[in-house]
Amino acid sequence: MKGYLGIDVGSVSTNLVIIDENDNLLTSHYLRTRGQPIRAVQEGIKKTGADSPENLEIAGVATTGSARRLAGVIAGADTVKNEITAHAVAASHIVPDVQTVLEIGGQDSKIIIIRNGIVVDFAMNTVCAAGTGSFLDHQAARLNVPIEEFGELALKSNNPVRIAGRCSVFAESDMIHKQQTGHALPDIIAGLSEALVRNYLNNVGKGKEILPPIVFQGGVAANPGIKASFEKALEEKVTVPPHFDVMGALGAALIAKRLMSRSDKPTRFLGFELSDFQYEANSFECEDCPNNCEIVNILVGGELHARWGSRCGKWDQIEEKRTG
Amino acid sequence: MTKIGIPRTLSYYTFYPLWKTFLEEIGLEVILSPPTNKKTLDLGVQETVNDACVPIKLYHGHVMALKDKVDFLFIPRLVKADDKNTFCPKFLGLPDMVRFSREDLPPIIDPTFRMKSLRASLFGFLYNIGRQFSASKTSIIQGYLRARKAHKKYHYLLNRGLFPSEAMENLNSPLREIDFPGPGKEELTLAVIGYPYSIFDPYISGNLLKNLQKMGIGIITPENISSKDLKTFSRYLPQNFFWYYSNRAAWAALHLINKAKKIDGIIHVTAFGCGPDAMLNKLLELEAKHHDQLPFLSISIDEHSGEAGILTRLEAFIDMLEHKKKAEGSKTA
Repeated sequence: MKGYLGIDVGSVSTNLVIIDENDNLLTSHYLRTRGQPIRAVQEGIKKTGADSPENLEIAGVATTGSARRLAGVIAGADTVKNEITAHAVAASHIVPDVQTVLEIGGQDSKIIIIRNGIVVDFAMNTVCAAGTGSFLDHQAARLNVPIEEFGELALKSNNPVRIAGRCSVFAESDMIHKQQTGHALPDIIAGLSEALVRNYLNNVGKGKEILPPIVFQGGVAANPGIKASFEKALEEKVTVPPHFDVMGALGAALIAKRLMSRSDKPTRFLGFELSDFQYEANSFECEDCPNNCEIVNILVGGELHARWGSRCGKWDQIEEKRTG
Repeated sequence: MTKIGIPRTLSYYTFYPLWKTFLEEIGLEVILSPPTNKKTLDLGVQETVNDACVPIKLYHGHVMALKDKVDFLFIPRLVKADDKNTFCPKFLGLPDMVRFSREDLPPIIDPTFRMKSLRASLFGFLYNIGRQFSASKTSIIQGYLRARKAHKKYHYLLNRGLFPSEAMENLNSPLREIDFPGPGKEELTLAVIGYPYSIFDPYISGNLLKNLQKMGIGIITPENISSKDLKTFSRYLPQNFFWYYSNRAAWAALHLINKAKKIDGIIHVTAFGCGPDAMLNKLLELEAKHHDQLPFLSISIDEHSGEAGILTRLEAFIDMLEHKKKAEGSKTA
């Protein structure tokens, strides 16, 4: 049986998905990246391998997410795709007539506008992370509420307080003020959810034509409070797909399948054994010009496998030989 | 020989051949700051007021790279490009901003550049500079003529499709020896709209142009549009911008959208916090939308923007254009 592996390595989570030839999802895993993308990928591959059917043969691999290039080298990916395309592919697969995708992850958020199955517009948040998962994580910790209960609590509110969500620093002082004046916890949490949604729609969704069906995915979609705030603000039904937290990986798996079914080349996948390989990354500062680029070496079993990081491209030679 | 330093940013992309030719003609040695690098940016951020946009910060960084190597700094106060177009207020105040940033700077030569037109006002402007360095009348006149010629040729080369670095390299080559880009054989051609000091500085633009070229994308920038074509669209908007570079960018985009019709999308490169761009960006977005939903991507640059973030957006944008083209192809087939 043939399977296709998609790996999405983001700042907060690393997700792996395997689909079969009929696009059915066979396994899915969600792991915390914890700042160690190489280990996260290895661990994910190990778990995925253990969960897969005996006779499964991986026929294609694609990686996405902010560490897509690194993950691509580690796993031996057939293609490396940006996360916007991956999320759009996955959303269109689950909801074929989708017109708007709202995606909120750990450190970034995006909106994707789709018409007739084709991406026609998109936007990502800029450097500010005020409208993302890490903002919620941080505030939940402040309020002493486990993030898993955050959404349910928000739904209990009848009278959300108004919190400035433009900037997480202001939001925090605003929130403390509301606490000190005696507002109930659910009202504060609901207020925070609304602030996040308002910030998202004003920043990322600015000027975009948000038409239904609307799909809401990414880690933050686990939060029913945010979903409810979106529905209130947009006055439309918002769908959270069953695999909302691994949609990037699902998209990558679908991309791998489409690519490999058109090609007669064998996959470059290094096999589930790669979880036992010795990967090592080290870096040095190139001193050949004042840019002082930080060059990263990726070693597999002590042997230099890939290298990147230079602005001028001179250190990238090895990598280009391998993939070219 | 007296050394005069010119920072390699801002008006450099428009006027360097003119400044250089004239200053050398009156007997000065022109020193250009090195291409932007990490140190330029770090020093610039350190020496500039916090609220300034990143191009202004970079300018200070280039000044820092020159300050110990030259006897004078050449920082003309750019006020008006012609009777209608004013430069951004930060250009107007640039010599003062630099002068008060540090105490150990060499003297700043800051003649006021206020043109009715180059033909009418350039000579007076250059004459005053020449007199400041006690240059002879003959050398000033000679310098003026040669500088105008260099300026004209430089912009001719840009109009023929070269980028500033290529045009400067080829400034003295005979035309028949120059390898001009032919009519686009690329699958996709994009208009990259923005100010030359943002688009053409590979460091601050996250290597935007090179990354696009690597993906096989054809590129047209405002600098590649002739002044005749720009002028046509100077009568298109009910109200133009006040600012020279904003008008050029707007008119170039309008020309490419309405008349040339050979672009598959627009990328607007804007510096974070740029006042004029608050309007220009929206104008471009709406114009693109009104013309068959022409794909539009806005890329914001600042001192924190890394190449990775820009690359993700570019890759997604190109994916989108390719899928769109494929879908349109299968519809017509």
